[in-house]
Amino acid sequence: MRKIYMLAAVSVLVGAASGAQAIDSTGCGLGSMAWRGVSGPEAQVLAVTTNTSTGSQTFGITFGTSGCDPQGRVTGGTQRMVFDFIQNNMEQYALDAARGEGETLETVAGMLNVDKKTFAAKSQQYFASIFPDDNVDAVYVTAKIFEIFAV
Amino acid sequence: MKFGLFFLFFLFCHGAAAKERLFAYDRQWLALLHYQSGIFSEYVGSIDSSGFYLAENGRYDPEAELRATVELFSKRVDSETICRFPARYKLLLNNRLIKKIDVKCEEYDEFLSDLRPAGITLLFTDAYMNNPSSMFGHTLLRIDTGRSGTQLLAHGANYGAFTEGKENTLLYAVYGLSGGYEAGWTVRPYHSVINTYNNIENRDIWEFQLDFSAEERDMLAAHLWELGHTRSRYYFFTKNCSYMIMEMLDAVRPSLALARQFPLQTIPLDTVKAVYRTPGLVKDVNYRPSRRTEIVNRLEQMNLRQKRAFLRAVREEDHDLPEIEAAEKADVLETAYQYVQYQFVSKELELSEYRRRSFAVLAARNRLGIQKSETPAKPETVSPLRSHEAMRATFGIGSRNGKIFQEISYRPAYHSLTDASDGLATGAEINFFNLKLRHYDHADKTVLDRLDILGIRSLAPADELFSPRSFTIALNISRENDPLTGGEGYVLNGGVSAGKTIAAADSLYFYAMGGVAGGYGGFLPRNQYAAFELTTGLFAGWGSLKLLAEATKSFSSSRFADRMRYRAEVGVSLTQNWGVAAEYLYDENEKGEDDEEFVTSVRYYF
Repeated sequence: MRKIYMLAAVSVLVGAASGAQAIDSTGCGLGSMAWRGVSGPEAQVLAVTTNTSTGSQTFGITFGTSGCDPQGRVTGGTQRMVFDFIQNNMEQYALDAARGEGETLETVAGMLNVDKKTFAAKSQQYFASIFPDDNVDAVYVTAKIFEIFAV
Repeated sequence: MKFGLFFLFFLFCHGAAAKERLFAYDRQWLALLHYQSGIFSEYVGSIDSSGFYLAENGRYDPEAELRATVELFSKRVDSETICRFPARYKLLLNNRLIKKIDVKCEEYDEFLSDLRPAGITLLFTDAYMNNPSSMFGHTLLRIDTGRSGTQLLAHGANYGAFTEGKENTLLYAVYGLSGGYEAGWTVRPYHSVINTYNNIENRDIWEFQLDFSAEERDMLAAHLWELGHTRSRYYFFTKNCSYMIMEMLDAVRPSLALARQFPLQTIPLDTVKAVYRTPGLVKDVNYRPSRRTEIVNRLEQMNLRQKRAFLRAVREEDHDLPEIEAAEKADVLETAYQYVQYQFVSKELELSEYRRRSFAVLAARNRLGIQKSETPAKPETVSPLRSHEAMRATFGIGSRNGKIFQEISYRPAYHSLTDASDGLATGAEINFFNLKLRHYDHADKTVLDRLDILGIRSLAPADELFSPRSFTIALNISRENDPLTGGEGYVLNGGVSAGKTIAAADSLYFYAMGGVAGGYGGFLPRNQYAAFELTTGLFAGWGSLKLLAEATKSFSSSRFADRMRYRAEVGVSLTQNWGVAAEYLYDENEKGEDDEEFVTSVRYYF
C-alpha cells in the first residue's frame, strides 16, 4: 500500500528532475568544499527520496577533498592531519581565525596539542599572514600555521 | 576405561552441540545476523550479500550459520574471512563458544584506529527549506571520536543506495521501489557530513547521543565493519537508511527491538521518535543549525541599525559601518561572511567574485581585533520530536448545498498546513493518499468524496536576502458534479503551479501563484479538461491556530472547470496529537449554479 502511493508520488516528482551533478572542482582555496551538487527543488526531492551513497567497492573511510597537494609539499603525520582538515574546512576555518574563536580552531589546537585559547588568539593576530589574499590555498595555510606556532 | 573416555567425549560433543543449538536463537546472535521473521520461513536474514552468511542455508537457518561461524573461528585457517567478522568473534568469545585466537587483521585495526570510537550518536537532518518532501528527514550514525580536538573529527556512518551508473531519472522511482539499487554503508569524517547538510543543503542537524557502554560502542564499530563489506537491495520506503540503522542498534543491544516497530514503512523522523522514547537510550540532545538558520537567527537578534548596516555590507560591500559599535560590527561582518558563503553555494556568485567578497569581509572583521563577538544564542527551534504523528484520521459533519453529511478521512502521511506545525518546517505541506468518505443523509448513501494521491505545497517567503519560489503539486481523484448536465462522477485531477510568497509578519504569509491543471473523467464532456489557474491566498499561523484562505480562478477548456473557487480552512491543535478544524468551500460556476460546502471535524494523529 505504502509502496503504491509512494510510487505515485515519486513518479510525479522525478519527471522534471535531472540527475545528480558531478562535483565541481574549484581548486583548494576558499569555496573548494562548497561544491555545487544539489540545487533546485526537483534535484532536492531526488536527493531526499533516494539518499544516494557514493563510495567504492572496498569499505573504509572516505575522506573529502584530495589532490590539493600535487607536489607533495605537506609531509609528516600531524602536518598531514592538519592539512586534511584545513582543505576540507577552509571557509569555516578562515572565519574562525579572523574572529579568534570557533570549533575549527579548537580542533586544530587539539591536533597540535597546544592550548586552545592561545591558539585562537594567535590565529587572529596572525590572520593577515595566514590568509594573505583571496587565492590562498590549504597548503599555504597549513605551512603558515606550522611556521607561526613552530610545532 | 576406553569406553569411559569415549563416553566422556560423546558427552562433551553432545554438550557443545546443545549449547550451540540453544545459542543459535540467542537474541543477540539473531540481531547480529539480521534475522527477521520471514513469510516463507521462520527466519530470513535481511542482508543480501552472499558472503555475509557463511553456511549454505545460513540466511534462513540461524543454527547452521552458528555452526559454520564457530567452525570458522575454530579452524583458524581462513584469516581473511575471520577478519571480516569481528563482532561475531566478540559475541562468540564472550559466550565461550570459541576460544581466543591470535589473527592479525591489519585493515580492521587501521579502521578502528582511524575511528577511535568513544561514543555513538544518532543524527537526524531536518527538512530543506522549500522542499516539503524532505520533512520525512534523514538519519545517519556518528561514531564519536576519542581524539583530542572536537567531534568534528568524529565519523558519520551512512546507509544509502549506490545509484552510480543507474542514474536514469525516469527509472529512479522504479529502481528505488523495486529494490533495483544496491545499498551499503559509507563512512566519512563528521566535518564532511556537516558540510553537506548544514552548509550545502542548509538542513539543521539534530544529534542524539546514545547511552551505550564502552562494550556496546565497540560492538557497533565492529559490526559496522562487518556490514561495510555487504550490499543489500534498497527499498526507499521500507529497507531504507533509517530502517537499517534500527537493525544496527538492535544488533548492539537486542533488547531495544527497534526494527520490528517498522514492519511496513520507515519514515526517518518516526525512527528518531522510537529511539527517543526508548527509556535510557538517549542521554543528550544537541542541535546544529544550518548556515541559513544561523544567518536568519543572527539577523533576528540584530538591532535596526545593525540590520541596515548588514544590508549595506552585503549589497555595497561597505565594511566601514561607522554608525555601529565594534562588537555590533563584528556580528554584522561575520553574518555577512556567512551570507556570501550561502550565495556561493546557491550559485548566486562566481568563484572569483565569491573569493574576493569573502576575503574582504573577513579582513575587515579581523581588523576589528575583537577577540570574541557576542556568540549568538541558539535559535529557538522546536524539536522535530514534538511534531504530530504522521498518520491522521478525521471525523466531521458538514453540509453541501444544504444537504447534511458525515465525513471520515484517513491519511497515512504526513502534514497539512493547518495541522500543528511544531517541529516541522513552516509553510510546507505534503500529503499522501488522503482518503475521504462521505455519508449523505438525504440519499442515505456513502460515497468516496476525494482521494488525494499526492499534495505538495511549499510557501517559502521571499525577502531581500532569500528568494525561493513557492509551488504546489496536486494529484487527486474527486467526486464532482457537472453544473451543465447535473451529472455526478469521478475526475482524476492534476496540477502544478508556482509563484511567490511574502511574509507580512512572522507567521502571516501572502502568496500568489499561476499554474496549469487538467483532468480526466468519463462523465465529463469530451472526457477531459485542461485549465490555466491563478491563485492568491494567505496563510497565518498564530500558535496552535492555523488559517489558510485562498481564491482560485480557473480558465478552462471545458465549462465544467471554468470557475472561481474560494476556500478557507482553519485548524486548531489541542494537544500534540489532537485537533479540530473547519473548512469552507464556495464554487462559482459560469452557469450560476454555485456550490457551497462547510465541514467541521476532529483530527487525530497516530
